Formats: sequence, C-alpha cells, structure tokens
Amino acid sequence: MAAEAATRHRSNTPAWLGLCLILCLAAPDVLAAANHDALKADADQFFRDRVTPFVTTYCIPCHQNKRPTRGGVNFSPALKTPGHAAFTEHWKRADARVKANDMPPKGAPQPSDADRQMFTEWLPKLKYLSDKDPGPFVIRRLTKTEYGNTLRDLFGVDPSIADGLPDEVSGQGYLNSLSSLQLEQYLNIADRVLRQIAAPPGGRPTDIEKRLFGPSITPGNDARQAARKVARSLARKAYRRPPTEAELDVLVATFDLGVRNKLAYQSALHLMLKAVLVSPQFLFITPAGDAAASSNGIVQLDDYQLASRLSYLLWGTMPDEQLMTLADNGKLHEPAVLKAQVKRLLDDRRSRALFDGFGAHWLSVGGLKRQVFDPALFPQMTTAMRQAMYDEVRLFFQSIVRDDESVIRFVDSKYTYLNGTVAEIYGLGKTVQGPEMRKVLLRDGNRGGVLGMPGILAATSFPNRTSPVKRGVWVLEQVLGEHVPAAPPDVPALDKQDQGSVAKLTLRQRTELHRTNPVCANCHKILDPIGFGLEKFDAIGRWRDRDHNGQPIDSTGELPGAKRFSGPADLKAIIAGRDADVARNLAEKLLAYALGRKLEGYDEIVVDELMADLARDGYRMRSLINGVVTSYPFLHRRIEEHRRLNEQN
Amino acid sequence: MSRINRRDCLKGLGVSLALPLMDSLGWADTKAAKPPVRLGFMYMPHGVIMDQFWPASSETFLSSPPPALESLRPVLNQCVVMKGISGVPIAPFNGAPHALELSTWLTAMLPAADKRHEINIAISADQIAANHVGAFTALPSLELATMPQTWKENQEGLNEGYYSHCSFRSPTQAVPAEVNPRNVLYRLFNKQERGGGAAHESSPLSSLDRSLLDIVLGGARDLRRTLPVSDQRKLDEYLDSVRSVERRIAAIEYRQKDAAMEKAGVRASKRHASDSPPIEIRIPDGEKRSEYMQVMCDLNILAFQTDTTRVSTYIGSTPNGASYPELGFNDQHHSNTHHNDDPEKVRKIARITEFNIAQFAYMVKKMANLREAGGTLLDNCIMMWGSGLEDGNKHTRESLPFVIAGKGGGSIKTGRFFSDTKGNQGDLLTTLLACAGIPIDRPVGIATKQIEELKA
Repeated sequence: MAAEAATRHRSNTPAWLGLCLILCLAAPDVLAAANHDALKADADQFFRDRVTPFVTTYCIPCHQNKRPTRGGVNFSPALKTPGHAAFTEHWKRADARVKANDMPPKGAPQPSDADRQMFTEWLPKLKYLSDKDPGPFVIRRLTKTEYGNTLRDLFGVDPSIADGLPDEVSGQGYLNSLSSLQLEQYLNIADRVLRQIAAPPGGRPTDIEKRLFGPSITPGNDARQAARKVARSLARKAYRRPPTEAELDVLVATFDLGVRNKLAYQSALHLMLKAVLVSPQFLFITPAGDAAASSNGIVQLDDYQLASRLSYLLWGTMPDEQLMTLADNGKLHEPAVLKAQVKRLLDDRRSRALFDGFGAHWLSVGGLKRQVFDPALFPQMTTAMRQAMYDEVRLFFQSIVRDDESVIRFVDSKYTYLNGTVAEIYGLGKTVQGPEMRKVLLRDGNRGGVLGMPGILAATSFPNRTSPVKRGVWVLEQVLGEHVPAAPPDVPALDKQDQGSVAKLTLRQRTELHRTNPVCANCHKILDPIGFGLEKFDAIGRWRDRDHNGQPIDSTGELPGAKRFSGPADLKAIIAGRDADVARNLAEKLLAYALGRKLEGYDEIVVDELMADLARDGYRMRSLINGVVTSYPFLHRRIEEHRRLNEQN
Repeated sequence: MSRINRRDCLKGLGVSLALPLMDSLGWADTKAAKPPVRLGFMYMPHGVIMDQFWPASSETFLSSPPPALESLRPVLNQCVVMKGISGVPIAPFNGAPHALELSTWLTAMLPAADKRHEINIAISADQIAANHVGAFTALPSLELATMPQTWKENQEGLNEGYYSHCSFRSPTQAVPAEVNPRNVLYRLFNKQERGGGAAHESSPLSSLDRSLLDIVLGGARDLRRTLPVSDQRKLDEYLDSVRSVERRIAAIEYRQKDAAMEKAGVRASKRHASDSPPIEIRIPDGEKRSEYMQVMCDLNILAFQTDTTRVSTYIGSTPNGASYPELGFNDQHHSNTHHNDDPEKVRKIARITEFNIAQFAYMVKKMANLREAGGTLLDNCIMMWGSGLEDGNKHTRESLPFVIAGKGGGSIKTGRFFSDTKGNQGDLLTTLLACAGIPIDRPVGIATKQIEELKA
C-alpha cells in the first residue's frame, strides 16, 4: 500500500504540468517562476472552492480554536494559512485519516465518497500554496567532528582532541542542546590545544605560534596595538569571517586581563586565543554582521556564511583560504564560481567527510562499530571486520561521487571495494587477501549495490538473527524514500493455543502471520517480501541457502504491480527500475542534511525542480550535489522575527 | 512566581554576590540545621512482567516481596510501592509509545502536536526542583545515562530527541546526560579518579578563567543583540552554559576558602563528626553493565553525600538498543518485550527488570548505610525508580511501575504498598516535589492533586 500510494502521489502531476516542465527547458528561470505562479493560483482557488467547505463542514465542528480542541488538533489557523510549513504534517495526517475512513468519526456527518476522494487527492497540490520560502537558518553549533577538524586545520592538532565531547543526536539536522557543562569541556580542550602548540615559558616561539601571533614584540612597540592586529587575523580564521570592531574590543580586553595578571606578551596572547576558542563566534556558524532583510524577511546568505555552509557540508571543516578569498571578493555566490568550488572540494580527499557526516547515516552504517552481535554465533564480527564493512560502504559511496556516476549505481553495481577481511563474507577469501581495500569486480548478480552489502545487511539485523522486517523498512525508507508508519500499539497477541504450532514455523511463515491480520497486512505485504528477498544473506551478510534450523530459505516474492522476483538479483533490478524514486529520495535526504532541518512546504517544489534537471542527465551524483548547493534554500535564509510580524498583520 | 531563580540570581547580582547567599543557605552551617532533602530518579524502559512486579497484598509486602523486588528486601521498610498511578494518555501519538515513555516520564505531559518535529514539551520535575534548590550547590542537577543518547527513531514525526531524553530545562530544551563516569567525577569534584585514569590532563578551572568567561559572555551578549529571534534562542543555550561554568568556579573557590577557614579553626566543620566519610569511587575497566551502572550510582551517592547537587536523574537505559550479555543472552531488551507470553521471552524480561532494580537497590542500600546527621543518607533522600510503560508487550500505561525509596527528611511514610492508588504520573511527581520541600506554583503536567496517602 505504502509503495503504491507514494508512486501514485508522484504520478498525480497533471499532464499539462509535464508540458510546462518541458517548456521550462527553454528558459528555465522565467518559465519556472510563471509556472509556479500559475500553479499557486490554481491551488489557491481549489483550496477556497473545494477544500475550505469540506474542512468547515466536517472538521471544524470538533477541531477549532476553542478549548478544548479534540485530540489537540485545531484547523482554524491551518485554514487561514494552509500553505504555512507548520501545517504540512497536519494536512498529511488529516489526509491519511480521511482516506482510512477514520475521520470524521462514526456518528458525525459523513462526506460523500466523491468528496472524500477530492480531499485525499488534493494533497499533492498543497505544496503550491506555500510561499517561496528558504526556511529559517538558525545559527548552528559545530558538531563534534566539525569542531575537531576545525581545530586540526587551525592548529595542526589531532582531531581526536574532541573525543571527550558528548555524542550528538543529529537526526534531520537537529543537534541536541548544549549541555550546561559542555563549555567546560571546550575550555579544557582550549587548554590542551595551547599546551600542544605553545613553547615552554621563556622558550623560543614555535612555528605555529609564529604563524598565529606574528613576530614577538620588541620593547617600545605598543603591545595593545600589536595584540589587536593579532586578534584581527586570529578571528578572521577562527570565526570564519572578518570580526567586527566590537568583537576585537572583546578579544583585546582578554589580552588586557592577561597583562593585568602579570602575564608576558606571549602568554597574554595565549589567553586571548583561549577566549577565541570558547566564543560563540567560533563554536557557532554566525552571520557576518547585521543582515539587511527584504520586506518579507528573506536574505541571501552572506558569502562567508555560504563558504562555511559549503565547506562544512563537503569537507566537515572550516573554509580554506581560497573559499575565504572568494568570500572577501564577494564572488562565491555566483553560480559558476560556486559550481567550480563544488568540483574543487569534491576532488579533494577531505570530501570523505560527506560520507562520514551524511553517507554513513543515510546507509545506516554509522553505528556498526558499537552494534551488538552475539559473539557465539558471529565471532567474525571483530573490530577489523566492522571497520572493513564500513570502509567498503564508504569507498563505494566515494567512488560514485568521484566518478560522477548515476545514483542508480547505489542499487545496481558490478563492483565493490574489499580487503581480505570482508572478502571472507563474500566467500572471496581466496582471491582477495591482505588488509588493503581495493576495487573488485563482482560476478555474482546478487551482490553489488547497497542491497547486498554486508555492512548494511548487518546493520539491519538483530544481534542473533536477520530481521526481514527491519530490512524491508530499510529499503523502503532509505532507498525508496517512503514513510513506513510505526507498528500500531497493542499488536494483537498470537492466540495462545497456537504457540506449539507457531514454534515449528520458519521465520518466514511466522512473519507471514502478519498478513493474516488486516491491521498489519497493509504495510507488511510490502515490507515482508522485500525483507524475505534478502533472506539468503545471513545477519552479517554471508550467502546461505538454509536457515540456522537447516530449513531451505525461500527468497521468492511478489511486489504490488505483479512484480515477481526469485532472489536478491531480481529484487535489485525491480528497485533499480524505480530510478526516479531512488534519486528523489537521495536528493531529499541530502538537501535536508545540507540545510540542517526537515524539508517542508516550499522545499517540495525545490526538489521537484531539481528532479526535472536531474532526470535529463541520468541522475548523476555530482549534478545532484550541485543542485543542492545552488538551490534557493541553500543560498537564502528567512529571518524569523520578520515572519512573525507579517503573521500578526 | 516567588522563587529563587538561579539565573536571575546570577544575572542580577553577579557571581561574586551569589557567594554570601550560598554561605547563608548552606545546610550544615549551624549544628541544629536539618540536612537538605535530595531527589533522585532512575529509569528503565519497556515496562515489567506485571505478576512478578506487583506485590500480592499490602500485608505481605514486607515479608514476601515479589521476585522483581527481591534485591530491595533489606530496605523494603524504607520503600513505598504504589499500584494504580496512570501514565499520560498518548493519543494522538499512538504510534510513538517508546518515544513518549521516556520523555513523558518526568514531564507528565505530551509534546505539542503542531510542533512535534521540534523539542516542545514541558519542564521536567527534576529541573523544576533544580530551579529551586540548584542555587545552593555547585551543580544545580546531575543527569546521567548508561548509554549515549543517540538512538534515532522517528515515531509519529516526533523529534528524535524525545526518544532518549527525560530531563527538560524548559519546554524547548532537552538536557543531555553524561555517560562517561570519568567526566562525571571530574565535573563533580574537579579531580580525577584516585590512582588511575588519564581522561583529563587538564588544569583545574581558575579564577582567571572566570574573569575570561565574564569578558566572553559580554561579547556573546553583544552578538545576541544583532541576531534574529530564532538565533537568539539557540545562543541562549550557550549563555546558560557559560554561566554554569562561572558558578562552578565560584563554588570551587568558596569550598577552598571554607576548607582553609576550617583548617585555621575559624569555622566549625560543615560535617557532623558522626557522618560517614565520603565514599570512594573506583571506575571499572571492563564493559560489564552492572559494574558500569554501579559506578554511576556511586557517583550519584557521592554527589548527594557531599551536597554537590541535590537533584539527579539517571537513565539506566534508553528505550532501545540495550542488550544484556551479562545475563547470558544477547538479544535486545525491546525485542523481548513483545513476548506474547512466550515463556522464554517472559523469563528474559523478568531477568532484565530484576537486574535494573538490583542496581537501584545497590544505590539505596548503600545510602541506607551511610550515616548523616544522626540518621542515614537515605533518610534524607527521595529516590524514585520506574518505567514509562507498565506492560511492554502491549504498551499499556494504566498503572506504571514505581518504587520510591527514602523518607524524604521525614516527609514520606515508608514500608507500605498501596494496591489501588488513585492518581496519575503528574500527581505523583507533584507530591514528590512537595515532599522535597519544593515550593511549586503549579502542578506538574497533567496533575490535578497530590497523593496524600504517600505522606508521613
């Protein structure tokens, strides 16, 4: 159902829109704008004429601006500004409830079937109600990894200096809040950095000190003046933008504090550097000065902010001198310049950060190191094995980026990267030996691509067995970008007297019991076949024909649309055939990661436009990355207070 | 609202003026003073096997406790168990039982439905307490966890932070927990484990750091003025964090001054001569969960014993990802909770529950053996153990499992089991805050009353 529904949503685009999209190719900017205006006008009218009466009749009586609102749902504000991003979820849930005949509840007046259908088919138009809006870009704290890398680039220290910081929850880009004690760790780390780079008291300055602080001061020169000069150059690097005079005053004040405490010139500079490292301008990505917002509260990112955004996205670290110089000259936001920089950054080895920060989470191997496996059943899962599994996925991801391959390669590929350790999982231990990872051509059609990759198969298993359900959900959500709702609460227990017989069933037969229950069947009829299609891979990704009880494994299945398959190779082909869905999912996930927030409202239109471009060149990876980096929400931000004022008016 | 807000205190008076305040309110300054009541919470996810957890009757509660509570037997007369405390009904988030079992546990409140993808819930009971008593101690509150709070699972579109956090400093700010015992030791006492561990090679915080932070804080406020509202909110977390370090440095200096005065004979010791000496902390090297949890419990005890904080929250396990190889099986806690009465899985869940309660028992038994002000440390504490579901198999929350240990400075009458308490989670939290002497101006979450029968 889920798969069908999603495909249906996407093919719901009216034919004339397709025509518009083709016309767009001629003069994309002008036509896209005009096209959007026309669609918006149409959607506005449809909302006024059809949706508003429906909601007013069937929803508002219970769900309105009056206490108590039923179930915490209130349609009054959503009726006023239906396109506001805050209500996207609201409408989606309403749509699902109405479609499932859950709402309006029994006993309340019921809409006709035609009206019900109108309401549920209206949802794809929702996005056109949104104003062109880049979304808020709230100042963002550096992640633990970014912070460590930035210290490395500034001072040449090992990034592991940041290891003591707490781990982060970064789902949808939302970082967890700053612990009230974290600043203390920042102070400690600053101390340790200083100890590593500074000469002993009275000793000759180290090279790095010379680079950061310039020459030692000679008697007679104005120490304060010299310190201010040092502060200016330090802050430009560490704050990743030129400091304001007020910010320099603060830093010089810390220098003065050192002098008052009888510190020598050099030591007072150390104190100043410590102040830099615990300042919000270092720990957060902040705008360079007051942004002059247009009347709708939308501003273009300044070039320094853009340099940071781009550099932390692709390199996981601070912008280098070239990016900074382009920002100084106000050139970075120019599309040609920006694309050239994307290429330069991606060609650099630091771009592995795109995998560690994004790819590893997308493909779910970020937690492999810490995942629990039953040591008795899977003694193979050593540290070296987990590392090799991770590296295989990483090198595979990086090769698609490096060679600008179609994103379909993620699903369907003829090569992978192996060393002797992970080759054992493939049964290729004889041909691939030694610790180095290398590119290996695969003969086995069941392998090649993320569906048959040991790291991912292991990440979606339980400690002691495979989980067809987890694998099915993984493919739907991570590869095809569909939302699988959580299992309903109070899953009905299997009838007690059945227990004896249930014990004798295979995992497949037992899981298929899901589908005898209509509540479960909706989702499981999609999930389970995919999961069982992968059952010939065990919990750490080895091929097998029989399960642990010696029962032969049946990995045939059928997906909606009468698509039959007899094993992983067929399944892979079916999934790869949905290239637009695979590409769209990746584009959405990468855009959300780049923006550090969930996609909503207008973003959907941004992705639509991006997809049209991508389809033309066969969904190539670098085009996708370029599309994200040059997209409207990546280059702009909305300033919250202006938005609020407008809403009040 | 008439309460001592630690932030106002620091903002308005400046840190140096906060010192005499601490001085005048420190609890053991006069010999007659009563020790403060300390409040501790410890969590286990996924509920219990009900017939192994609930006592058979009030009469047999002490003499033959149920299997799950066996480890508490020596201190059962200092505990209260109540059946009938209902959890927050989770509609319209029916598909998010695990994201909500933890995040509603101390808030007794649901997240805001229209802002579900952000953190937007309510201040939690431990943080309400910290707002009131936090200004008297070096740390306003202590948040601990056994595993990193990084499990991600998006349920009902809720922010993933709901899955792994139970403390909320404000409706929009989740408080992260510390998982590394060495860090906790260092933060609590500015020192390292005796004779081992090189987690911190850092110099202790100094008064120079404090002056430095003052200047940086000034600069951060300037920056804040130039930022849009949403950015300002983000920066406030930073400002909070700076202030808390400043406070801690002030507290360390205060303690040093105090110790010097005691040594010089100018002032009587804060400690009673008969009090037990502070316990020792030994951080284990292995990966054994019990040892790890016990050192976290020890740190909690030491923090209370030395009045370094008066409020603590320990997430013994987050709702997913935990397994218990120490108990002889490797499968995950959650996958066994949906046991459908399979005896093997039921046995495993019972074992996991016993294990978790045994760690709580380790902590409160130790507290019951530490002398303080003529009684024991436990006498002056309220320690709550609990879970956010009753039955993990069916996700029910009509009667959440709780164990309360400690007499709360004489405010709670212990050694009792109530088989049919009328009240909800918010009522219970409100009652506990009241017993801890927290002046509350409004009930916690969905509370409508206090549970009077709990009180002495």
